[in-house]
Amino acid sequence: MRESLRVSVGQHSLAGEHGTNQDFHGAVLPTGAQLAAKGVVLAIADGIGSSEVSHLASQTAVGAFLEDYYATSEAWTVRRAAQRVLGATNAWLHGQTMRSDGRFDKDRGYVCTFSALVLKGRQIHLLHVGDSRIYRLHAHSLEQLTKDHRIHHAADESYLARALGIGPHVEIDYLSWEAEVGEVYLLATDGACAQLDAVSVHQAIAEYEDDLDAAAARLVEHARAVGSDDATLQLLRIDTLPEGDGLESRRRREGLVLPQLLAPRMEFEGFAIVRELQVSARSHVWLATDLESGRPVVLKTPSIDLRDDDAYLDSFVLEEWVARRVDNPHVIKAWPGSRRREALYVAMEYIEGQTLAQWMVDHPSPPLDLVRPIIEQLALGLQALHSRDMLHRDLRPENVMIDHAGTVKLIDLASVCVGGLTEGLEMTDAGAPPGTLQYMAPECLLGETASPSADLFALATISYQMLSGQLPYGLESARVRTPRDLRRLRYVPLRHLRPELPAWVDGVIGKALHVMPGKRQEAVSEFIHDLRAPSASFQRVQRRLPLVERDPVLFWKVLSVLLALTVVALVFHISVAP
Amino acid sequence: MAYLAPAEFVTKMIDAGESKLLMSTRDTLIRSYMAGAILALAAAFAVTVTVNTGNPLIGAILFPVGFCMLYLLGFDLLTGVFTLAPLAVLDKRPGATWRAVWRNWSLVFTGNFAGAITVALFMAIIFTNGFSEPPNGVGEKIGHIGEGRTVGYAAHGAAGMLTLFVRAVMCNWMVSTGVVAAMMSTTVSGKVIAMWMPIMVFFYMGFEHSIVNMYLFPSGLMLGGDFTFMDYMIWNEIPTVIGNLVGGLTFVGATLYSTHYKTGAKRKVG
Repeated sequence: MRESLRVSVGQHSLAGEHGTNQDFHGAVLPTGAQLAAKGVVLAIADGIGSSEVSHLASQTAVGAFLEDYYATSEAWTVRRAAQRVLGATNAWLHGQTMRSDGRFDKDRGYVCTFSALVLKGRQIHLLHVGDSRIYRLHAHSLEQLTKDHRIHHAADESYLARALGIGPHVEIDYLSWEAEVGEVYLLATDGACAQLDAVSVHQAIAEYEDDLDAAAARLVEHARAVGSDDATLQLLRIDTLPEGDGLESRRRREGLVLPQLLAPRMEFEGFAIVRELQVSARSHVWLATDLESGRPVVLKTPSIDLRDDDAYLDSFVLEEWVARRVDNPHVIKAWPGSRRREALYVAMEYIEGQTLAQWMVDHPSPPLDLVRPIIEQLALGLQALHSRDMLHRDLRPENVMIDHAGTVKLIDLASVCVGGLTEGLEMTDAGAPPGTLQYMAPECLLGETASPSADLFALATISYQMLSGQLPYGLESARVRTPRDLRRLRYVPLRHLRPELPAWVDGVIGKALHVMPGKRQEAVSEFIHDLRAPSASFQRVQRRLPLVERDPVLFWKVLSVLLALTVVALVFHISVAP
Repeated sequence: MAYLAPAEFVTKMIDAGESKLLMSTRDTLIRSYMAGAILALAAAFAVTVTVNTGNPLIGAILFPVGFCMLYLLGFDLLTGVFTLAPLAVLDKRPGATWRAVWRNWSLVFTGNFAGAITVALFMAIIFTNGFSEPPNGVGEKIGHIGEGRTVGYAAHGAAGMLTLFVRAVMCNWMVSTGVVAAMMSTTVSGKVIAMWMPIMVFFYMGFEHSIVNMYLFPSGLMLGGDFTFMDYMIWNEIPTVIGNLVGGLTFVGATLYSTHYKTGAKRKVG
């Protein structure tokens, strides 16, 4: 039996002397799939004492976070999901502040501190703004993990520098590391922090080992006995952690058998196999009919060669997972059925049409107007992935289908990297990075992890290849092994192969193909925009180029004429000389 | 399942050919150097076995150890890349050009040659006790193998050249079959068995293998064989290389590619 994530949580809160408790706290301990996808969350907030509505702010902040965080996409990383949710909460609180008396005096607005701890897989994530604190308990000390956003400008005067609800935007501190079994974390508001020390926490936990709520209550009472402020404390003890290879896809793959070899007219898992589309050492792809709905479907089964490769088999589960989550006309859809499966296979929609590779064969030297819509649709598909924290990682002409209506779709999502699934997992890809070397951004060959910028490189390589029929760096970019190789790469300007194209096209594509990811366009959308409406800088750069680069033919013609004149002059000189 | 369907292993062949073209210069040289050296060592071993037992069959039965070692270690022989690299061009893999194939062949030739010469020198030192005494029995034998297979062919003129060429073609037909056969199986034992058979056949039959000859002949020159370096080049190495190229490409690469690999204009991939 695989170990799963188990934690013990204890929490307690007491109002201060002034009566209303402006602190708020909450924890969610989901089970099953949600635990694996989103993890455990503890959140604590403390409203500012000067405001009469700040208890509403703290309730809203904690309540909204606990609810909305679990509603975000499973594909998102914790950081992205949490920051999005907090950004929205902050905007709402700020809006309330601006609609109340708080707009004249922020001390009376909907303002609160906020600290949250998310434990997902084996990874701890902290989100923090304000002066509540998160501690880690050690044998003899409490380690404060968060920084107080409080500015002291006199001995006894200080104010909150950052909190939710003060401004329209808020900067949230984020920290993350791998958790260990047995660790204890504490979340506390400032009222509970004052008298907190490691000895008393150890004592409380030792006394109430099975009831951390009681332990928290004791610590809070202790704090209230000496202080006058609201005091709230949460305790989290990590009892067990999932195993390191907690890949969601591996869990889902368990219990599925490897399918037998398919053949035409065979019945397989409720599908009738029609014919083979492609059988290669990577996968077997078949056209089939869904016997229930009668609709065509494409089935992909593992190849014999790679049946022992775990990472490869994981990609089978992942491919459909991704396709189900990305709803975009430019990304292939998963088969909508939900029959129980016995075997491991991928079922996808059937796209009638041709691959981009075939399109390139059919359209050598196409005009820019024919290429642009294809690249733009491809970019839309990529953007749909990128906005969900996914990277395609294997963009190549064979993985792009163009249907009869001219719609371009990304297929083969087997190499997609999903931020929310892989965060906190150690990537032990000792071998080559996934993808096709010819289209891979050279920095990935030097061991850098893929980024949206690498997908942009692949997209630009395809654009270059569609226009010129060649690769921008030949095969040299695939042979990069050292940073020196990288510096030696020479981009073959597109204008040398297609001189009739506008010069700025070369500038735009060349920028996206820069060997340094930092010098490419920042996003796919910027590349597409440049390809439609190039900024003036691309045209200026063009004019600054030396003549030999800009128009080699003219350069050599002029040079030849000059040489010819020199020869004539020399001949003349010799013949008139005595 | 340990046996791959033909359609699968032919795509593996093309993928392997493509990866050869994409290999960096450094990797290509190192891998081919090691392959040349290991194969040369196996040839020295097989001749030693033959001389010591007096039975060439035993030498031939044991010779494939070298080939299996270098294949499993992922090293490249010229005979193998002759068969595999052009498939990437035939299949129109992105960026695959005959120029890239030529580059790969030249690098692998250089690496194989350097590796084989290194082992030839080392073995010559061993056979002659550091050039301090005449070669021992095995050294003597290697010294004379070269004569029959250079000046011997030259003595027959065009007919000799034809024989040499056909032997080279037959050689790589067998050797490349070994390379391809190794791809059919997914287990190490399966790969070894699949490679063993054709390699044994070629060695016992005395077919001309360009890399084995890169060891035997320079070694022969060092150990006092009665032929010149030019004899070796013109009456052996160059025709052997060409024969190996033709044999690997026509009888193995192109045949398997055209019968087992289907290129559909309308390929739909899910």
